[in-house]
Amino acid sequence: MSSPEHVTLTIDERTVEVPKGTGLVEAAQAAGIEIPVFCYEPRLGPPVGACRMCLVEVEGMPKLQAGCTMTATDGMVVKTARSSEKAADGQNSTLEFILVNHPLDCPVCDKGGECPLQDLTFRYGPGNTRMNFQKRTLEKPIPISPTIALDRERCILCYRCTRFSEGVAEDGELVAINRGSLSMIATFEDEPYRGTFSGNVIELCPVGALTSTQYRFEARPWEIQNVPTVCGHCPVGCNISATTREGKVKRVLSRNHPEVDEGWLCDKGRFAYGHLNADDRITDPMRADGLRSLEAISWEEGLDEAERLLRAAGSSIVTALSGTETVEQAYGLAKLLRVGLGAHAAVLPEGVPDALDAFRAPLSSIRDASTVVILCEEPVVERAPVVDLWIKAARRKGAKILMELPSAPIAGSVLITDDADAAAWQAQELGAAAAVYLPRTPNGRGVSDAWSVAADGEGADGEPALLIISGDEAAIDPAVRALAAQAETVIGIGMFGGSFAGLCDLVLPGTSYLERDGTTVNLEGRLQRQRRAVIAPCPDELAWISKLAERFGVELSPYSSTVFEAVSAALYGGISYGEVGELAPLPPRAEATAKVSKPANGNAPEGTGLRLLTYRPLFSGPAVERTPELQFQTPQGEIEITRADARSRGISAGDHVHVSSNGTTVALRAKITQELAAGTVRVAGSDAAGLHSFVEVKK
Amino acid sequence: MSLYEQIQEIRSVYPPGSRSAVLPALQLAQEEHGWLSPAAFREVADALDLTPAFCKSVASFYDMFNLHPTGEHHVDVCTNVSCALYGAQGVVEAFEQELGCAAGETSADGKVTLSTIECLGGCGWGTIVSVDQRYRRGVTAKDVPGIVKELRG
Amino acid sequence: MARPLVVLKDSGSKDLTKLADYESVGGYQALAKARGMAPAAVIDELIASELRGRGGAFFSTGRKWSFVPKLDQNPNPHFLVINADESEPGSFKDHEILAEVPHRFIEGCLITAHAIESKSVFIYIRGEYFEPWEILVAALEELKDRPEIRGDVTIVVHRGAGAYICGEETALIESLEGKRGQPRSKPPFPAISGVYASPTVVNNVETMATVPPIIAMGAAEYAKLGVENSRGTRLVSVSGHVANGGNYEIEPGVTLKDLLYAPDLGGGIPGGHKLKAVIPGGSSTVVLTADEIDVGYDFDSLGKLGTAMGSAGVIALDERVCMVQLGIRVSEFYEHESCGKCTPCREGTRWMTQILRKLEAGEADESELDLLLSVCDRINGKCLCPLGDTAAMAVASYVAKFRDEFIAHLNGGGCPFGDSPLEGVLAPVAQHAHALRPVFA
Ligand SMILES: Cc1cc2nc3c(=O)[nH]c(=O)nc-3n(C[C@H](O)[C@H](O)[C@H](O)COP(=O)(O)O)c2cc1C
Ligand code: SF4
Ligand code: FES
Repeated sequence: MSSPEHVTLTIDERTVEVPKGTGLVEAAQAAGIEIPVFCYEPRLGPPVGACRMCLVEVEGMPKLQAGCTMTATDGMVVKTARSSEKAADGQNSTLEFILVNHPLDCPVCDKGGECPLQDLTFRYGPGNTRMNFQKRTLEKPIPISPTIALDRERCILCYRCTRFSEGVAEDGELVAINRGSLSMIATFEDEPYRGTFSGNVIELCPVGALTSTQYRFEARPWEIQNVPTVCGHCPVGCNISATTREGKVKRVLSRNHPEVDEGWLCDKGRFAYGHLNADDRITDPMRADGLRSLEAISWEEGLDEAERLLRAAGSSIVTALSGTETVEQAYGLAKLLRVGLGAHAAVLPEGVPDALDAFRAPLSSIRDASTVVILCEEPVVERAPVVDLWIKAARRKGAKILMELPSAPIAGSVLITDDADAAAWQAQELGAAAAVYLPRTPNGRGVSDAWSVAADGEGADGEPALLIISGDEAAIDPAVRALAAQAETVIGIGMFGGSFAGLCDLVLPGTSYLERDGTTVNLEGRLQRQRRAVIAPCPDELAWISKLAERFGVELSPYSSTVFEAVSAALYGGISYGEVGELAPLPPRAEATAKVSKPANGNAPEGTGLRLLTYRPLFSGPAVERTPELQFQTPQGEIEITRADARSRGISAGDHVHVSSNGTTVALRAKITQELAAGTVRVAGSDAAGLHSFVEVKK
Repeated sequence: MSLYEQIQEIRSVYPPGSRSAVLPALQLAQEEHGWLSPAAFREVADALDLTPAFCKSVASFYDMFNLHPTGEHHVDVCTNVSCALYGAQGVVEAFEQELGCAAGETSADGKVTLSTIECLGGCGWGTIVSVDQRYRRGVTAKDVPGIVKELRG
Repeated sequence: MARPLVVLKDSGSKDLTKLADYESVGGYQALAKARGMAPAAVIDELIASELRGRGGAFFSTGRKWSFVPKLDQNPNPHFLVINADESEPGSFKDHEILAEVPHRFIEGCLITAHAIESKSVFIYIRGEYFEPWEILVAALEELKDRPEIRGDVTIVVHRGAGAYICGEETALIESLEGKRGQPRSKPPFPAISGVYASPTVVNNVETMATVPPIIAMGAAEYAKLGVENSRGTRLVSVSGHVANGGNYEIEPGVTLKDLLYAPDLGGGIPGGHKLKAVIPGGSSTVVLTADEIDVGYDFDSLGKLGTAMGSAGVIALDERVCMVQLGIRVSEFYEHESCGKCTPCREGTRWMTQILRKLEAGEADESELDLLLSVCDRINGKCLCPLGDTAAMAVASYVAKFRDEFIAHLNGGGCPFGDSPLEGVLAPVAQHAHALRPVFA
């Protein structure tokens, strides 16, 4: 007899006990029995029972049942194809019908070899075809966006992709049109499928109907290696597998971490790996030659030059970090500069307010919140895309979504904020069960912490003689460029000539997160491991930093694993490199800190007209700029405006409007949003050039 | 009243947050424009806070929405079993003759769009021909010239 | 022969589309009576009447109502959704009810709303029923200034847009919610979670129009009519090769033969032709041969012959009709109306049509006839909703009962019927090939 919170059922003569509410497919899994599925995918919401692959015999029911739509109940007796002729015939029928009009062009299909349709046909399908009519032929493949190709002949209409678009990403762009055997997947009027998460449909598709244009004809499954690592584009740190062939990254796939990403990726993380092979990739040390251009020099010269410049500057050095470095890189750099030269001054990426550690929780807890309070001026999706999916999941589960701090605390609420100074106070006022701060950089916290524990000592003040710019992100930061203008000499470390030309006297090659080993800390405070997927075209940072350190009598290992030991002792409770693991756990919460008082709110802007908010678009920056397929995702000159503000100005969605503030006028397209407070509008920073913080919007 | 306002009125009939106004809104837009052009879909989508893609996905599921321009008048001949037994096919061919276009097409003068249609629910009174949504009962081939003349005006 | 009228009572003598006329024959008094009863009592009355749904599934109406959770068990509002999507080939009875006795139908809706404690009624009427819609809307207009009749119930008429599948209750609910009309997998059943995820009763037009008379005459009286398991009266649509096509309200038990031949009913097969086959309950039902028609038109009797009353659409076919062509036309209908959600129905119905066309052309051999039956068998019982299942059963029954005729078509035989009225009928699905082209290019 089974306990109140468990049920016991029999599947193919095997008895299995599972928690109440377990789906039949999962219950069978628990019994080591496969119920084959196509359309079933719990992450897409309730089962739809469309494909009929999962037909099983259930005692007491005359007809075969779609197993995917059933919940395990006490005493249930189920027979799958393994023990029931009828079920086997049912599944065989379904496969015959699926294949009636399927082109069977497996030899030239990118899915071949890793295709559920191939696998299930092999296990449950008919060995021959009885279809002797001409199969349905359709135009193929259709690029539904520069990154995704659609082959409608291969489509088995499981509606996974459209359910993702409607029910997970909630972009409503990828849909089914027509009816019956004429049904097909489509976008509106063949416009590209624009949406931050579009690429997930490629992985969801159980056949070769939705494929990646980047991966098209690039590899066969038996020629590839999948390296488990972590995305380095934003502070979420989604878990990924990098597929490589012959030392090149060919695609990026999700690697479901249920607490972090639930197996979803944004298109930047999925498609922007093209930057590895950018034309202006720096592979050798470069010396400034003339004003704008750089000339390649040998490593020996490069290190000599670096040593010379460092010695000349002594401790009068400022280091600007990007927050894209690994913990180990930052630590190594700090050792070299702070211990070797006493150069303590640094422009650090913003970390995460430590007080928030008392509100630490996995991102997945957003989904279970009763209320989600979002206090962000920038769109969440632009800063930490997957966090936006967790918020949408919460809304679908019935959570209230608030855009300002409620007057009284709310039990079971989660705070999401991008205001570093106020974050802790906001969380306290809200009585939040959990709080998530959205920093700007992927590893800002890991980098700052590593820098600060590497040595102690204050930066000397006064004009720095030498500025060191670590990473392309820092190199394109206007504030850093301003510093560079003042510094006598500048050393850059990074990947792309475009970021450093005309800025530096010396540039040393940098690597991408896909090319190096190390650890990073995401916005939850979760320490995760990045693995080298491919060999960089140049030695990685740690390798030459350690060489340079030697010249200044600083002992520094070239291996992340060794460097990590030191950092870990100081920061991560001394766990070993190996313990970081492939699905990293979240460190425990910190003790609640003493009451925080309201930060003096920086003089709230006031003016007439609509308040203008600007943001840095997700689809921008060095990596995206170097991935041609992603250009269509970059902001299309849109201004987000509330329905009320739009109507009062006679504006409807898609209208061309003029946005102006003293003198400057910009022409943009109106996009109606529910995500803003009335009286505010939002524009991508790149589209807001010359606009002040209050604007007029006219049709 | 603008289409937008009319659609808001329809929305108010249904529970807030529901999408029930989609069909009536599309019907309204089709009355206004004669067919559902991309522009019409954008208009409806905006008024319902939905995407044009979603609206087209819904519209294309149903037979009564025109996704292409059509003639001024619509002649739909039921060719399901009962009407067929009364000679529906003869009626279809008579219309094709008179209009000089095949079923599924529009006469060259743009006046009449001719289609065959599934059971119209008048089986005992067949052949049923729906002319601009109004049923003509017991239509035979010889009634056709009259009907076409009437529509050509 | 005099026949009791319940649903269409007095519609011959008076214009019951007018409120005044309807009230002059006791209209809306059943409503008053019902409102005087506790909801549970009304449900018991319906159960006692043995009324079974007229939409096709023939499920006990009273029992269906009783499945709706009481308001204290489920806070969500209750909804009553009326299925006026009548699209089953052969059925046009609801058309007649809406056009002739709209007030009786509305009264039934209001009584039902009271019984299931619903304040909100949606009438989903197929888009093609433009004229019945006008009549219905006019009738509702008349109630505008009759608050004592309307009570606190709002009735919204929602027009469909052309899709047979939206007659299936869960597809109808999806469509009413503004989506593509694709059936949901059950459970949950509408009574628990229907429209807007709230408890919902879906009932057919005729079912509703039968409720007021039941309340008026009392369940016991009503249950005296008809035969066991098929009580009351039934509005039957008769069409095809009969002298007088039309809707006839009969007492179940009347034979199918009478329905076709009785002078005050079908009136016989015209043009001196011989009856060949009968589709007894709309195109979804198993066909009967001419010598199977001496059977009571009721649930049990037809059940014994492996067929059903379905939506009471009787189609008579005389000896000129080619059963292969019938198969094609019926298969084409289901192929066209398949919603495209589940695999067997979407792919199978299309395949059926292809095979049937080949048979008709005389290009097939016996193995392909068996293939057709096998395909039907593989569709049947595997689909998400009954559409595919019934399509397969219906077509398979043509082969089962007229196999020789199919055999005759094989191996170059081609169609032996010179003047079959189903010859080369153009179905919409065949028209999709050249769907409406732009006129002013
Ligand atoms: C494919 C299909 C089409 C249907 N069409 C209709 C219809 O047009 N009208 C109708 O009342 N019921 C139709 N039904 C039956 C409905 O699903 C439902 O059982 C009925 O509306 C319930 O009302 P009732 O209990 O009053 O009969 C259809 C069912 C299926 C499977
Ligand atoms: S494209 Fe792929 S995911 Fe989308 S419906 Fe077709 S088979 Fe399913
Ligand atoms: S997996 Fe169950 S129907 Fe698709």
